[in-house]
Amino acid sequence: MLEIKELNVSYNGTQVLKNVNLKLEKGQFLSIIGESGAGKTTLGLSIMGLVEGSCSGAMLFNGRDLLSMCEDERRRLRGSKLAMVFQNVENTLHPLYTIREQIMEAVLVHGADDKRKALAKVSEILALVKIDGDRAARYPHQLSGGERQRALIAMALVNDPEVLILDEPTASLDAFTKNEIIQLLNEIAGDKVTLLITHDLAVAAQLSNQMAVLYGGRIIETGPSEKLLANPRHPYTRGLLRSYPGMDTTKDLQGIPGKMAHNVTGCPFHPRCTQRINICAQEAPELVDNGRGMIACHRGGIIPLLEVKKLSKTFGYYKAVDDVQLTLYEGETLALVGESGSGKTTLAKTVLGLLRADAGAIFYELEKVSAGDAKFRRQVQMIFQNPRESISHRMNVFQAVKEPLDIHRLGSEEEKLALVREALEDVELPSDDNFLNKYPHHLSGGENQRVSIARALVMKPRVLVADEPTSALDASVQAKIIKLLLNLQERKGLAILLITHDLALARKASDRIAVMLAGRIVEEGPTGRVLAVPRHTFTKSLLQNSRVGQLCPG
Amino acid sequence: MHINILKEVKSDYMGRTGLTILLSLLALALLAPLLTHYRPEDYTGLIFQPPSARHWLGTNDVGQDVWTQLLYGARNSLLTGGGAAVLAVLFSLLTGGSAALLGGMYDRVLMRLVDAMLVIPPVIVVILTAAYLKPNLLLLIVIISVFLWPAGARMVRAQTLALKESMHVMAARSFGGGRTYVLKRHLAPEMGPVLTAIIIQFARRSVFMEAGVSFLGISDPSLVSWGKMMQDALQFTYLDVWKWWLLPPGFALSLTIIGFTFTGTALETVMNPRLRKEVHHAGD
Amino acid sequence: MKGPTTVINYLIALVLILSLNFILPRLMPGDPLQAIYGDEAIIAMTPELKAELVARFALDQSTGRQFWAYISSLLRGDLGYSYFYNAPVLAVIFGSLPWTVLLVGLAIIISTLIGVVLGIESGYRRGRPLDRALLGVLMFASGFPDFFAGILLLLFFGVVLGLAPLAGATTPYAGCGGLTFLTDLFKHLALPLTSLAMVRIASPFLLTRNAMVISLGEPFILTARAKGCPDKVIRYRHAGKNSLLPVVTATGMQLPHMVSGALFIEIVFSYPGMGSLLYNALLTRDYPLLQGILLVLTITVLSVNLLVDIVYTRLDPRIAYAY
Repeated sequence: MLEIKELNVSYNGTQVLKNVNLKLEKGQFLSIIGESGAGKTTLGLSIMGLVEGSCSGAMLFNGRDLLSMCEDERRRLRGSKLAMVFQNVENTLHPLYTIREQIMEAVLVHGADDKRKALAKVSEILALVKIDGDRAARYPHQLSGGERQRALIAMALVNDPEVLILDEPTASLDAFTKNEIIQLLNEIAGDKVTLLITHDLAVAAQLSNQMAVLYGGRIIETGPSEKLLANPRHPYTRGLLRSYPGMDTTKDLQGIPGKMAHNVTGCPFHPRCTQRINICAQEAPELVDNGRGMIACHRGGIIPLLEVKKLSKTFGYYKAVDDVQLTLYEGETLALVGESGSGKTTLAKTVLGLLRADAGAIFYELEKVSAGDAKFRRQVQMIFQNPRESISHRMNVFQAVKEPLDIHRLGSEEEKLALVREALEDVELPSDDNFLNKYPHHLSGGENQRVSIARALVMKPRVLVADEPTSALDASVQAKIIKLLLNLQERKGLAILLITHDLALARKASDRIAVMLAGRIVEEGPTGRVLAVPRHTFTKSLLQNSRVGQLCPG
Repeated sequence: MHINILKEVKSDYMGRTGLTILLSLLALALLAPLLTHYRPEDYTGLIFQPPSARHWLGTNDVGQDVWTQLLYGARNSLLTGGGAAVLAVLFSLLTGGSAALLGGMYDRVLMRLVDAMLVIPPVIVVILTAAYLKPNLLLLIVIISVFLWPAGARMVRAQTLALKESMHVMAARSFGGGRTYVLKRHLAPEMGPVLTAIIIQFARRSVFMEAGVSFLGISDPSLVSWGKMMQDALQFTYLDVWKWWLLPPGFALSLTIIGFTFTGTALETVMNPRLRKEVHHAGD
Repeated sequence: MKGPTTVINYLIALVLILSLNFILPRLMPGDPLQAIYGDEAIIAMTPELKAELVARFALDQSTGRQFWAYISSLLRGDLGYSYFYNAPVLAVIFGSLPWTVLLVGLAIIISTLIGVVLGIESGYRRGRPLDRALLGVLMFASGFPDFFAGILLLLFFGVVLGLAPLAGATTPYAGCGGLTFLTDLFKHLALPLTSLAMVRIASPFLLTRNAMVISLGEPFILTARAKGCPDKVIRYRHAGKNSLLPVVTATGMQLPHMVSGALFIEIVFSYPGMGSLLYNALLTRDYPLLQGILLVLTITVLSVNLLVDIVYTRLDPRIAYAY
C-alpha cells in the first residue's frame, strides 16, 4: 500500500536519507529505530511531503507516486490519508486555540461542509482517545503532557488516515502516561499502515511487529521485532541494544566508539565498526535477505569468530568435554559457567590447542583450524587465572609483554617496544622505562593481571579466552579488570570467552551464557533470558545457589 | 554561543549602512572647524542668500551660514545623543544590575518604580521639564537621560538575572569564583552586547528628543541645533529658502536616526539567535 | 505580571506625573505664583486675584498643604485658568483634544493594520527580495522624525504641488453640509495622517515580521502543515495569530510615541489639536495651560495603555488563565 523506492533526501549538500526502500502493507506496524541524526524524522516528514530538502526516488501510495504529485495534491493527502503525530514538545499544539478547535480544523481543511457532521466526528475521536469534552475546550497549556499527546493523536486520526506516522509519541512522558499512550496506540493502529519513529527500543518492542534500524540515512537491518531485539545481526543494532538500559538486560551498559557522521563513503557505519574490512570503506552494502529479515553488511552481520563443533575430550574413561557446540561472535562476551570440575577449563585449553581434542573441530572465521595455525595462535589469546603464576618471575614487564612477539618473531626491537608501550597504555598502565623494568613481585595483583592482559593484547587478538581472570583478585580490583575488559571490547570489538563459576559476574559481563554440566553444554542463551527464565534444572539450581547471599535482603 | 558582534553587524547590509552613516556624521562633526570658515553664530550680513561658493547652503534670515550651522548642529546632536545615552545606560546598569544582584525588597520596590516610569511618555515629560528649566546642553542631557533609563533598567535586570542563573556562572561559582570574579569574567563580557544595544536605542531616542525640544524652541536659544534651524526655517515656507535651509537639517537629522536604527536593528538580529539565519534541520 | 499589579503600576505612574507637575514650578526661583503662572500673567493680575489664587493653591502654607490643595483642585476638574485664552484650562483642552484623538486614533489603526499585514507577508518570505525591500524601505521611513516627514509632505504636496491645504483642520466658513464637510475634513487630515502613519508603520511591521519568523519555526507550524492546512491558513491563522500578541502590547507602547509624534506634526500643519495648543502655550508661556495639556495627554496615554494590557490578557489564554 505504501512503497518507498530508492528514496534519497538531501539538505544543503548533506545526504540525510540514502537509498531507502520500504514496503508496507495494511495492518503492518513498523518501527524505525536509530539515534538522533539518523534521519528517522526526515523519513517521516518526507512521506508527509513536509521535508525541506530535495527528494528523489519514488514513494508509491496506493500505486500513485507521491513525489510526482503537485503541492496542492499532496496537501490534500496530508491529514486525510497520511497523518503524522509529532512528539509532544513545547508548542507542538498551537497555544492560542483550544484542543477542540485544533482537531476541528483538521476536519474542516479537508472540506467538510457540514459543520454538524464535523463536530460529531471530533466528538467521536475525542471519545476514542479518551479526552472528555470539558478538557477538549481547554488550551494546550492547561493540559497534562499525556493529554496533549492524546490530542495530537486525535488530530491525526480524525480523518481516519490510511497511513499513520508516529514520531516519538512517548518521549518526555512518565512511565504511567507512557503506558497509557502505548495502549491507546495499540488499539488504534488496526489495519492502518503504522510507522513508529523512536529511539526507545522498549516502546518499539511493545508496539511494532516489524523493525527497521536506520543509521546515517540508510536502513541497515530490518526484521520481526522480537527476533531483531533478541538476536541483533548488525553490529550497530547490537551496539544500540547494549547502550539501552532495558529492565531485562543485565550486562553493563556499553556504548559504540566514535560518533555518527554524514557523507561517509562506503558503509555508513564502517568508521565505528570493529569488524570492518577493506570493502566496507569503499562500497555501501546492499540490503539483502538473510532468512528472517534484511541486513546491509558486507560481512553478513556480526561474524561468528570462533566456532566449536562437536568437540570431545576424554581422560581415560572420564569425559571432560562431551560433544560441545559453541559459537563466539565478534565483539561479544560468552560466559561459560558451571561447577568446578565441569570441564570449563579443559574446554578452553582444548579450544586453544593446549590439549588435543579427541573429536570435533574448531573453526576460526569460518575456516577450520589446523594444528599450529599461526593466524589462529596470534588472534586468539588467553588470560589465565593467576597472573603471578602465568608471568615468569624472571621476566620484567617489558620482557613479559614482549614474549608473544618474540615467539612469533614479529617486528624489530624498536617496533616491539612501541607495541609493548601501546598495549600497556591500552590496559591503563604506565609505559615509561621505569615501569618496563619492573618485575612481577614489584607489582600488585591487579597490575600483574593488567600486564598479563597487555601481553595478550600485544598480538592484537580478536578473541580473548579468559579463565577465571579475576578470581585471584580483590573485589575492587576485580571490578576494574572487568571494566577494562568491557572497555577493550567496546573499543576493539574483542570477543571474550569468559570462563567463570561466578554467575553474578557473568550476569554483568556477558551477552550470552552457556551452562556446562559434566562436560556438556546444558543450556545456552542471552544472559538476561537465561537468568530470568532458566530452562534446565541445573541452571535453576545454580541460580538458586548463587542467590543465597543477597546484598539487598528483603 | 560566542559570536563576534561587530563582525556580524558589519556583515549585515543594514548594519554596514548604519555604521557607515554614523561614522561619517561623527567625522563631519569632529572636523567641523576645518570644513567651514565661519562660526555658527557669525552674522555674515547677507540674509536669505541662495547657495553659492561662499555659502554652500546659503544664509538664513539673520545672515548666518547654514552649512556651518549644519556642521555644528551635528556636534550638538551627537553630543546629546551620545551623552544622554551613556548617562542613561549608566543609570540602567546601576539600577537594573543592583536590583538583579541584590534582589528582595530593594528589587521589588525599584522595579515597581521602573514599571511605573515605563508607562509615562518620555517626550511629553521632557517637554514639560524643559519648558520650565530652559536647559542648556548639559542639563538637557541630564533631563533626557532621567526619563530614558527605566527601559534599559528592565533589560539589564533581565539579562543579569538570566546570567546569574546560567550554567557557566554556576560552574564558576562552584569552582569557588567570588562575586568580583564572576562579575568581571562572566557578567561584564556577556553584558556588552546588551548594553551596546541599549545605548544605540537610547542614542536614537535622545537625538530625536533633542531635536524635538529645540524644534519647540524650549532649549537654550544660544544652542545651534538642527531642530531649532527647522523651527526657524518653517516660518518661511512661502520663500524658496526651505530648499537649502529647511531640508538639510531635516535630512541630517533623519540620517542620524536612520544610522542608529539600522545599526540597532542589525545588532538585535545578530543577538537574537532565533532570528539568525541558520540551517534548519528537521526534528531528528 | 499582569492583573492587579498593572493597575498599581499605572497609579504609581500617575502619582509620579502629578508630583512632577507639582514640583517643577516650585523648583523655579522666586515667587511660586509667578512660577506657576509665568511672568506675563503675573503682571496683568490684580492684587485681589493674586490673593485669591494664593489662597486657592494654599501657596502661603506648607508644601504638604499645597500638594493637597493641588490634588483636590484637580479632582474637582480644575486645571487652572489660561490667561492667553481667557478660559479655564480644561475647556481650552477639550476644544482641541478631539482633533488629536482623531489623528492619533486613525494613524494607529492604519499603521498597525498595514504594518501587521506587511510584517506577516515579509516574515513569511524572509530573506527573499520582497522581504528585504520592505525591510529597507520601512526602516528607512521610520528614521524620519515625525515632524520632518510632515514637513516633507507639506512642502511637496502643499507648497510645490499646491494640492493640499497648508493649515487647519477645516476650511473656515465653508459651511457644514455633511459630505462637503467630510471631504474637507479628509483633505486637511490626509497629510498629517499620512506622515504620522508612514513613520510609524515600521514598528508594528518589524515586530510582526520578527514574531512571524520565530512563529514559523515553532513546532505547531509543522503540526498544521501535517494536518493539511493550506498555506494561507498557516500564514494567517497559525503563524499570524501567534505573531499578533507582541503587536498588541507594542501598540500600547506605541501610543506615547504616537502622541508625541502627533504633537509635532500638528505644529507643522497648524492642525488645531493638542500639539498646536501646546506650541501656543509654549510661545505665550501659558504655564497652567501647558501643565494641563501634558497632564491630560499623560493620563489619556496611561488609560489607553491600561486598556491594552487588559485586552492582551483576553487575547492570550496562557495569561488569562494564570489567574
